[in-house]
Amino acid sequence: MIHLSAPTLARISTAELAPRAREQFGGDVRRAGTFAQLCLLGAQACLDGMPRRSSLGILWGSTYGAREAARAAIREVADGELVMPFTMIGTLPHLAATLLAQQGAPVMRAAFVHLQPAGWPWLLSLARAWLAGCEQVLLGWVEESAAAGEPHRSDWCVVQREPAAVSCQALGNPRGALPATNADWLAQMGAWLAAPRAPLALRGGSEAWRFAAGR
Amino acid sequence: MASFVRATAVASAAAPGTMPDLPLPPPGGDWMARADAIAGRVAAALKAKAELGDAEWRRLPCLVGSSSHFIGAREAQADAALEPPIEFADRLARQFGVSGPVMVVNTACTSGLTALGLARDMIDAGACPHALVLGVELANRLSTAGFGALGLLSATKARPCDLERDGLVLGEAFGATLVSTSGPWRIAALASQIDASGFAAPAPNEAIIARAMRAALSAAGWPASSVDLIKLQAGGSPAGDLAEARAVRGIFSAPPRLVSFKGAIGHTLGASGPAELSLLLAALARGQVPPTEGFAQSDPELGLEPRAADGGAVRRVLFNLAGFGGHIASLALARE
Repeated sequence: MIHLSAPTLARISTAELAPRAREQFGGDVRRAGTFAQLCLLGAQACLDGMPRRSSLGILWGSTYGAREAARAAIREVADGELVMPFTMIGTLPHLAATLLAQQGAPVMRAAFVHLQPAGWPWLLSLARAWLAGCEQVLLGWVEESAAAGEPHRSDWCVVQREPAAVSCQALGNPRGALPATNADWLAQMGAWLAAPRAPLALRGGSEAWRFAAGR
Repeated sequence: MASFVRATAVASAAAPGTMPDLPLPPPGGDWMARADAIAGRVAAALKAKAELGDAEWRRLPCLVGSSSHFIGAREAQADAALEPPIEFADRLARQFGVSGPVMVVNTACTSGLTALGLARDMIDAGACPHALVLGVELANRLSTAGFGALGLLSATKARPCDLERDGLVLGEAFGATLVSTSGPWRIAALASQIDASGFAAPAPNEAIIARAMRAALSAAGWPASSVDLIKLQAGGSPAGDLAEARAVRGIFSAPPRLVSFKGAIGHTLGASGPAELSLLLAALARGQVPPTEGFAQSDPELGLEPRAADGGAVRRVLFNLAGFGGHIASLALARE
């Protein structure tokens, strides 16, 4: 059995992102591109709601990663230009963990991943394994806006051994569990947690996990 | 449960005959067709060593460490939509003939080793008995242009630990490792650290590199004096090699055998974990610690001399990687 915080679901418009980051971190986040800022805002908001521990893992993913910066960098290369250093840095999604460490988080382990569309149960399985060496593991799924008017998404929760808002365990049999994707499993859990009646069972691929209101 | 390196294979751009690798086809032509061909070649070599039944092989999960994935294929179509990187990994998994779950791991230069750590987590937890770990960085202009713009590249060649070293040289590689519940090399520990001060500099803080190495030794239960060989990160970067040397000298009163592969195959970024691991274990299986290509003249400030040596007696290895963004890893391997 592992325990999860209530998920933090950030929806941030393109125009809001930089001002929100400045407001949260007291100035421009040095060298951070769009994707890293988005990760950092969501992750920090999630951590702020939990008691601070001495060791943290960060395990997060995205369908596309730093898409905006990757497109810009490819265009610069195609135009025969040098790739601007900040463009290059912006293409690197894993730098969000470094930025989080710069904010004082005791990051012991970090991995940024891309998964098959319903691969999110891997995140919970790995987080459970990481709890052998980390007191808390931040799990996240982050997507830059894909279309005008659509907000960026940065969804996070904290996994730990100590009781928290949600208790969680793997189910041997996924039958009856609701299908969930990488992009919506945290949102589904958040919606259920707003009025939890029966435990929630979610399925991704051939695996399923059961969530029950904790504490 | 313990995890082991059961088999490895790699294709790299080392000079023919100098490394126990497979040759890469020359760059050019259709990028994706070339990637498929390389994957097929490495898959055949790994499968021949893996000693797994067909059904077990097909069930393998596949973890792909890469920082550039298929960017090289998109450079010719700058305005085309970007596909999710997982699609490239799915394609590689198909080339290997495996149909388990697929994941891409991106922690820049440590990507492949981070993927190996996740595979180990799964095996240790009993989630699967074997996992395929790939490290893949293939030709693209973005990595070269980006590292060049950051002033990290040598204009000539990579000279790990050498007095005249003046920067990195990037390379291509496709490395594959089968992690398993049995094999000739036990994964005794894998420790990681993040150097929060390291953003564009390749891990300049020796204290944090030393912390990763000490954590690996501690988790393995090894005294430093029992380590027979260190596979250095050493890529020829003036500051990076110096920081690693200081970390090594702070832990080892007399450094053991040393080797770096970045003079031979270049810095292969996210592929460097599986790629260098494959080169190392193949050389040790032949009783050799290979020479460090590019090292000729000692730097007294470093005090490290990576040289060819007898590898037959090597039982315990520390395997260091450090990368962009301050991600640092140290792997402890024990010969069974």
